[in-house]
Amino acid sequence: MSDQAQSGNPADAKPIPFGQGYKLIGRDYSTPDLPAKVTGRAKYAEDFRAEGMLFAKLVLSPMPHARLRGYDLSRALALPGVRAILTPADVPPAAGPHGERVLTAEPMFQGDPVMAVCAVDEATAAEAIEKIELDFEALPFVIDPLDSLRPNGPNPRAEGNVWFGRELKPLKWTEADFASYANGQLPMGHAPSAWSYGDLDAGFRNAALVLDRSFVTPDVSHQCLEPRSAMAYWQNGKLVIHTGTQSTYQTVPAIARWLGIPQDKIVLVSEYTGGGFGSKVTGTMIMLVPALLAKKVHAPVMMRISREEEQYLGRARPGFQGRMKIGFDRGGRITALDMFVICDSGAYGSQFDVIASGNIVSLLYQPPAMRWRGVSAMTNTPTRSAQSAPGGLQGIAIIEPILAEAARKLKVDQVALRMANSAEGPAEYGPVREGQRAHATSCFLKQALAHGAEQFQWSQRVAQRPRRSGTKIRGVGVSLSAFSGGTIGYDGLLVITPAGKVRFHSGIGNLGTESVIDVHRAAAEVLDVPWDACEVVWGDSSRLLPYTCASDGSQTTHAMTRAAHALGLECRRRLQEVAARTLGGAPEEYEVANLRVFHPGSGAGMSFAEAARHAIALGGIYDGHQPNPGVHPATQAAAAALAGQGLVACARDRFPHDGGTYSYVAAFAEVEVDVETGKYFITDFLAYGDVGTVLHPKSLGGQLLGRSTLGMGHALGQKWVYDPHYGAALARRFYQTKPPTILDVPVDMQWNALNIPDPQTPVGARGVGEPPVGGGCAAILNALSDALGDEIFRRAPVNADTILTSLEAGRPMQLPLATGI
Amino acid sequence: MAVVRDIMAPFDLLQPSTAAEAQRLLARYGADAWVLAGGMDSFDWLKDRIKKPAVVVDLSGVTELRGIRPWNGGLEIGAMTTLAEVANHPGVQKNFSLLADAVRHVASPQIRNQATLGGNVSQDVRCWYYRAGWPCYRAAGETCFADTPVGRNREHAIFGADRCVAVHPSDSAPALIALGAQFVLRTASGERVIEAEDYFVGPNREITRINLLQPGDLLASIRIPSDFAGARFYFEKVRDRNVWDFPLLNVASAMRVSGGVIQSVRLAVNAAAPTPLRLRRVEAAVAGKPPDASTGAMAGELAVQGAVPLQFNAFKIPLMRNLVKRAIGGVEKAVWA
Amino acid sequence: MPEPEAPPPGASAGPALSRRKFILGVIAGGAVVSAASYRLLAPRAASRPALLGGERLLTLRVNGRLRRAEVAQQETLAWTLRYKLGLTGTKLACDRAECGSCTVLLDDVPHYACSVLTHTVRNRAVTTVEGLAAPDGKLHPLQQAVIAEQGFQCAFCMSGFLMAAAGFLKTNPNPTRTEMAHGVSGNLCRCQDYSKILDTLMHGAELMRKGAQA
Repeated sequence: MSDQAQSGNPADAKPIPFGQGYKLIGRDYSTPDLPAKVTGRAKYAEDFRAEGMLFAKLVLSPMPHARLRGYDLSRALALPGVRAILTPADVPPAAGPHGERVLTAEPMFQGDPVMAVCAVDEATAAEAIEKIELDFEALPFVIDPLDSLRPNGPNPRAEGNVWFGRELKPLKWTEADFASYANGQLPMGHAPSAWSYGDLDAGFRNAALVLDRSFVTPDVSHQCLEPRSAMAYWQNGKLVIHTGTQSTYQTVPAIARWLGIPQDKIVLVSEYTGGGFGSKVTGTMIMLVPALLAKKVHAPVMMRISREEEQYLGRARPGFQGRMKIGFDRGGRITALDMFVICDSGAYGSQFDVIASGNIVSLLYQPPAMRWRGVSAMTNTPTRSAQSAPGGLQGIAIIEPILAEAARKLKVDQVALRMANSAEGPAEYGPVREGQRAHATSCFLKQALAHGAEQFQWSQRVAQRPRRSGTKIRGVGVSLSAFSGGTIGYDGLLVITPAGKVRFHSGIGNLGTESVIDVHRAAAEVLDVPWDACEVVWGDSSRLLPYTCASDGSQTTHAMTRAAHALGLECRRRLQEVAARTLGGAPEEYEVANLRVFHPGSGAGMSFAEAARHAIALGGIYDGHQPNPGVHPATQAAAAALAGQGLVACARDRFPHDGGTYSYVAAFAEVEVDVETGKYFITDFLAYGDVGTVLHPKSLGGQLLGRSTLGMGHALGQKWVYDPHYGAALARRFYQTKPPTILDVPVDMQWNALNIPDPQTPVGARGVGEPPVGGGCAAILNALSDALGDEIFRRAPVNADTILTSLEAGRPMQLPLATGI
Repeated sequence: MAVVRDIMAPFDLLQPSTAAEAQRLLARYGADAWVLAGGMDSFDWLKDRIKKPAVVVDLSGVTELRGIRPWNGGLEIGAMTTLAEVANHPGVQKNFSLLADAVRHVASPQIRNQATLGGNVSQDVRCWYYRAGWPCYRAAGETCFADTPVGRNREHAIFGADRCVAVHPSDSAPALIALGAQFVLRTASGERVIEAEDYFVGPNREITRINLLQPGDLLASIRIPSDFAGARFYFEKVRDRNVWDFPLLNVASAMRVSGGVIQSVRLAVNAAAPTPLRLRRVEAAVAGKPPDASTGAMAGELAVQGAVPLQFNAFKIPLMRNLVKRAIGGVEKAVWA
Repeated sequence: MPEPEAPPPGASAGPALSRRKFILGVIAGGAVVSAASYRLLAPRAASRPALLGGERLLTLRVNGRLRRAEVAQQETLAWTLRYKLGLTGTKLACDRAECGSCTVLLDDVPHYACSVLTHTVRNRAVTTVEGLAAPDGKLHPLQQAVIAEQGFQCAFCMSGFLMAAAGFLKTNPNPTRTEMAHGVSGNLCRCQDYSKILDTLMHGAELMRKGAQA
């Protein structure tokens, strides 16, 4: 249905030059948020100040699991300048029996907030915290999920250790289940979640090679550069809150729900958000602390979150302990795949990663027979959340090193092996539900792999000799990668003003992916208006926002270009009607271009400015007084509130859509390892995307390489380190948790994209934020094993210590299955 | 008492302009005073509120503690000279590039613009238990949290452990030891000049200290004699990230070669022990031998004799062996087609 | 069941655990030139000298202007710039010299403003991102380059990167891409947009050289 859809056979698809056939889509431009950002004028949450503002600081649990038996606040409250202390008794109840609370009397991890102090300044608040006496009863705790699964293993909370749907129950495996632990293979006892399809036994029976490998992936904090600070005050019964969020639109209902107040009593300001990566999807309950304190002390309250607090509260990707058995035929095609994962879901709630891992593996590599089993375990470690490609990264990091090993053992080229297994077209994935499996909208990953291999000069690099020189060894790696890339059914809203401007109302969070601005160009494209006649308002819920997806799951580009395209069509129709009703004739006789609606034969027509004035005069459906009934009630309300400001148009994405929308990346890397120090450098990297139509090339490049590097961090050194005896976080600072620096990646990383439109969406564009992440990690892992062999590592990250000790011993030497090392 | 790891507690900031004035202030306030140079280590302790001195004596205004001047054919570097100033100084680059090389591997550009040479050699250990404020031996407690069956000790010591297994994190210290530097201290009883390696105090001597300075003492300058001016140098630091991170291990050597054999050599490693280690046995063993691969290999093996690994840091043994090997025998360079 | 033997920092966790009192030892080795003994510090603020760390009026040279502010003795420059002078373009992301978001120039040299006491910069010229553009508002070439290249993503790191690059380019106006990467290596970007950041800064350096020639 796309204008640019090619023949049905994806093998025939060819890359398309960016912007071909469009005036705006696929062209570079500068987003309007940049001038404020470069001059320092852009205000992030903690940059705001309000008259009489007070300051809050959190009191965190020093213990991984404890019950607050009592406390003495008297000395703290007596300190001059202290205004209030919020305790667990002052906060709303948790969502469900095991949900996260704002403040808790039963902290579930070291760093779980227990109280909050409000004072005239931060120094006083800090001083007051040190005057608080807390009396805790220590409770059993679990840091490593496997410890809790052992016979008689401790439970992280009284109810159990493993999530069965939304219920936490005890699950203990037998000593027999744990027999494999001693030789480094993941025990596989009962798993609450499982699915399978195909004939697994036959697949393994007929395989030329079967590999069974365990692999551990790290817990990695999001570490948004902007800590999740928030400032709140109450004015005329309304809560005004300044914070950073991945969704301006979706955050308001979340806060309203948590506080138990109507949505129209909340004004959220979040024009600039300093990173999210899944950790600021609609904000977190921590936002409520300043809101609740502000109510209590009748003054604005700022809560600045410190970097150490961010380590506890800032969310993280759950680490996996995984095991995978794969059968291959002689050509490297997978014959059967048996996947078992334990997901460390942290303290509150089960993480989606566990489910996603199986779906992504089944989609990307198309095993003809597959079984997936998953355990989502609770531990007394900080709350996890989605992080760019949740579960996708972990699944890819577990399978890809096995594919690399298989290719070596079968003497099949790495790219060829992935070509043999890669998804293609409307590929099926996941379990069988009601007799059938889900399928993707489209997939051109084989083309991305082929063109990427050519651009990366894969064959030349593989053939290059010597591979070892001096103390250095070079290795090359390739990885497939994919993640979800879009949803449907959201709304767009615009006003053509009497000044002749087209003003888009954007409910998308501004994280720097620039989808907050980019997607509206799809509407401008339909209206054929020059971009400099368009403006976008964003970042403030009082600015009347349409029903908008949250910027997570890489859905925004797809979902909101669909909504924008619908909006463009709706607005064009209204313009034609205004012209026809004013100038005569039938609406469809009028054309819209270059800020005019006109009759091509007679030349009669009007400017957008005039059309806006006529729309106001006509009223009703033209100026917002009678909003499009087909849109979400929230969009209708926003349009109605804009009534009379000009031609007000709103529309919902109702375009047909068949399949699950995913985006794909082929990632290529070269590394150079010093075998005497274990130190390695990534010398080259390429991410080649199949992300549908390219909307904004420079932004796309930033996403492809930025998110690839986010994935690389998991290979290069990012992790949590926990002392299992005290349940305490040891790696808390950047020099300990190791987010990659500019000198840890090649100075010249490359990216490219096919720009082949997705056939199931009118603009053809899919999301790109998350799809590169797994590839960024696994391409590095595969390049390392290409250089060093298969007996070096069984976990990520891979560091000098891993490499040196394993080279020395000739076998993987790290503790094989433990977490937090 | 609940804990908060943010916001420095108040202190009185004293800003002397001469060393004598600084010493007077330090004498007056004794153990209540904290000496502030570049602050890169100090601010961690202060912001974590683990240390709450009543008085902070800021040395940044003491110009006499700053700068690099000729000294006996070598150089004298004021303790308050920044690492960037050291790295960019023509005299350091010309004759003592080992030191320039070492300080260029410290942390990040902004830190090198502020951190001082005196601070870099005097900084405290980075054991994550100790730095989190746990009551370990080094903090006058009764245990070591890192050296337990499950303690996390990948970064910790393979030599010199005595209850405390933390390592010394300085990159400049081994270079200064290799260059035969002398540290000039100003104490209540007058000036005292000591060999670089004698400045550092291990847990076997006094577990709650890391160097010789007593309350009231100042490290005034570091003198680099001409002995190894323009000699053959080797420095290498292995760290996880290429910016910011402390060494997993570093090595520094200074060597005079004549007639194809090593005439004199000084060799030191750091992050292997609670103090920088001068490897005298290795120095003696390689003297008179050619600085080649086989001498290097012998040196490397000798260097790690007696190493005692903990649960997670056994990699430091081959790492130290190989770094010493390179420092003596050179690196086999990679040549790609 | 694993149970703590000694309390994690600061916990008073019931009688069994409170026997070992958490001790605040002051080991001054960290400070450079310093008193390397330890002592016990009274935990009560009341026992400390009165008026500890009071505010003093300071005159600072910021972005070419003299600015007066009451500054506490333990106050960092980042704090003063952001909260006393309203220059919130300087960001605090780690407050521990580990990310570079607070980078400002002191006499043209990049420093982490989170790790400089304001009272130590009285006689130095402070330049923040707000002072990068010309007084007439014309953007600095590095700022122009951000707009031309769609540089950075969330931009929380941006002002720090721009200041680090501005300082670096004063010492090396014609850097290679690798030299530029080293020049701004004290700045962390969590959007990990390093490649596009380098495109941007190299473009800015080129604009600066062209401007210098013109």
